[in-house]
Amino acid sequence: MTRLWLLLIGASATIGFALLTLVIIPQIMLLEIEAPPELRPYTPSQANGRRVYIANGCLYCHSQQLRDEHFTTDVARGWGSRANVPADYVYDRPHLLGTMRTGPDLINVGSRLPDPDWHLIHLYDPRAVVPWSIMPAFPFLFEEKDSAAVSPADRVVPVRGPRAPRGKVVVAKQDALDLVDYLLSLKRDFPVQTTSDRHGTEPAGSPVPPAGGAASQPATGAGTTAGRNDGA
Amino acid sequence: MIPYSIIVAITGLLLGLAAIAAFVWAWSRGAFENIDDQARVIFEPRDLRLLRPWETQAQQEERRKLYGELIEPAPGEWGGGE
Amino acid sequence: MTNPAAEIAYREDVELRLRADRSTARPVLFVFALAIFWLLVGSVFGVIASIKLHLPDWLVRQQWLTFGIVRTAHLDVMAYGWASLAMIGVALWTFPRLLHVELLWPRVAMVGAVSWNIGLVVGVALLLQGRNNGMEWLELDRYYSVPFLVLGGACVAASLIRTLIARRAPHLYVSVWYIVGAFIWFPIIYVAGNWPTLKGVESASTNWFYAHNALGLWFAPICLAAIYYFMPKVLGRPIHSYQLSLLGFWTLAFFYALNGMHHLIGGPIPTWMITTSIVASVLMVIPVVAVAVNHHMTMIGRFGALRYSPTLRFIVVGAIAYTAVSLQGSFTALREVNRITHFTHWTVAHAHVGAYAFVTLALFGAIYYIMPRITRREWPSAALIKWHFWLVLIGISIYVIALTIAGLFQGLALLDPGTPFQVSVERTIWALWSRSFAGVMLTAGHIVFAINFFLMTRGPEPAWRIPPLHEVQPVIYRGDDEVAP
Repeated sequence: MTRLWLLLIGASATIGFALLTLVIIPQIMLLEIEAPPELRPYTPSQANGRRVYIANGCLYCHSQQLRDEHFTTDVARGWGSRANVPADYVYDRPHLLGTMRTGPDLINVGSRLPDPDWHLIHLYDPRAVVPWSIMPAFPFLFEEKDSAAVSPADRVVPVRGPRAPRGKVVVAKQDALDLVDYLLSLKRDFPVQTTSDRHGTEPAGSPVPPAGGAASQPATGAGTTAGRNDGA
Repeated sequence: MIPYSIIVAITGLLLGLAAIAAFVWAWSRGAFENIDDQARVIFEPRDLRLLRPWETQAQQEERRKLYGELIEPAPGEWGGGE
Repeated sequence: MTNPAAEIAYREDVELRLRADRSTARPVLFVFALAIFWLLVGSVFGVIASIKLHLPDWLVRQQWLTFGIVRTAHLDVMAYGWASLAMIGVALWTFPRLLHVELLWPRVAMVGAVSWNIGLVVGVALLLQGRNNGMEWLELDRYYSVPFLVLGGACVAASLIRTLIARRAPHLYVSVWYIVGAFIWFPIIYVAGNWPTLKGVESASTNWFYAHNALGLWFAPICLAAIYYFMPKVLGRPIHSYQLSLLGFWTLAFFYALNGMHHLIGGPIPTWMITTSIVASVLMVIPVVAVAVNHHMTMIGRFGALRYSPTLRFIVVGAIAYTAVSLQGSFTALREVNRITHFTHWTVAHAHVGAYAFVTLALFGAIYYIMPRITRREWPSAALIKWHFWLVLIGISIYVIALTIAGLFQGLALLDPGTPFQVSVERTIWALWSRSFAGVMLTAGHIVFAINFFLMTRGPEPAWRIPPLHEVQPVIYRGDDEVAP
């Protein structure tokens, strides 16, 4: 009985400690983060697009987090102007940070690829725009109609060349349009003040543009609720 | 507002002390005696005396010394003939 | 045996084990059969997903077959179908054996198994239709699927706890601690992971708190429990150092639970959380080495036993894989290594060393041992066992070696801003083909196993039978009334 009690108490204590340190306390800390003024909540169309993103498993090939410039080369590669901070994700329920880069990071894809037609063609047939791509095609997000059947309200996707369906017109379904809407909303490269979180969390000052493009430390060390992402 | 690191440190300390206390209590109640018996609770006597065909002479001698005369495996068991 | 007192004691011991096995036969057989069904389903999903990565225009017309859905179905079916159910079977069978008492509330355990499967069927069906919670390892719908899984787990736990309370064994063997630990830890982390109000980066940290702890506090403990029981049992030698197993258990419990943030190194999470996890990941070397030393010193000089016992073959490979994957994990958690490996196929390979080479092979070993004792028959075909072992061993080796190397190429390419992204993709294509080939081998091995399993349940009434071949014999079972433990 002694050993059983020891087992029960010990096992509960170890998981309790981990829950406290890695779940409960961070939750409380991160509650204080305010949304940056440049970040808007998702519109209904973007929210539906986010649902489509999740439903089709986009997060299993694409990440949405740029790591610190001092640590690695995500920013240098051109995926964004700065590393990401917790404040970038306040409207994300749940997070879509991702763990694979079979495809490129998408956190700033709205800035990098702002043309909706490019996205529509790419979703319909990735290899029509990126020949070496291994991304799956998503033809079920589109309809292939006869030209005669196309109505003025339809969003026609300008697929050209050998990979276009013969004699048919590609029309985007609502889910495809919403997904593209969501992708174009992914622009998290507005300036934020980033400092090390060892200064604790304090109310945000007004965001200052980082000097020289890299995250810089303000002289007063005033923390923001943005916090700093992990670095080397 | 108390810095969170202090909360974590104190909680860790309390939990750690509780764990040590639990261990000391268990030790005083004899939970760590007869360690070898605890390791053997999964066996019954025949298990340990079965002659295993992969064991060397030295290993079989050791087994004989620890557990007694060895038992031949029955037909259908390892190495046992028809 | 010439000593009548010893004779009586022996018969009582055998009676005890016979009663234990009879009480667990039905629920365990039920759960194993379902587990193997899900293994086959998950294997098919896995191969389809793998092929789609190098033939991306294959089977794209239907949404339910899109890569992002099939790959996820593969993961959830394997994790919550095959592995979890097989582990529930192992827990249900070993508890009465270890506690020297029959399984109590077996019908509650059955209800639990049924509920768990309903949850899984509902969850996978919804997943195929695009309903996904959006977090890795937590995709199964939290309103329609999770309640069934939670209810199922609770019922199984109730039966195990009831049995634990009624125990008659003089000591609690280490396998009992691991199983009790797993059934305490898993519900807590599962509820935390599925908490519906999470958003932003706290959803990320909670996500990986859950997912990593599912590996280390649900899958690993029960499979370690199996290795700690079957390895000494087959060899007829107690585990080398029981003190080391105590140390191993408690250090695993304490350090493992803090590991989760190492999935987010470099991410938008407070640095202190990530550093805590990296430190805990490196400290994991302590329990892992303790376990490895224990296993090795128990096996040493007796590797000849592998020729005789399929159980031991699978268990030993599983034990080696546990050590390997854990040390690899500690290494991968270091920031300088993680800089290269994060977001690459290295992680996928690592996951499969753990989930397959360790967890799945250990469960195969356990099933090979348990089945004769609950069906009271021998495995019908030693040839099928041989095919099973070699197909899966070679398959997983190809899988892991190919993807690990490809992951490094991929990571190094990604690290150089001057190298186009295209290069990181093209450097992995050969490994993606290799993985599909390996996946077919693994699936073939699973089919072989399933056939043997099925034939075994269909066999004649328990009767004396000589095993079919002499050079490869399944673990001892005597066909008459008495079951050799």
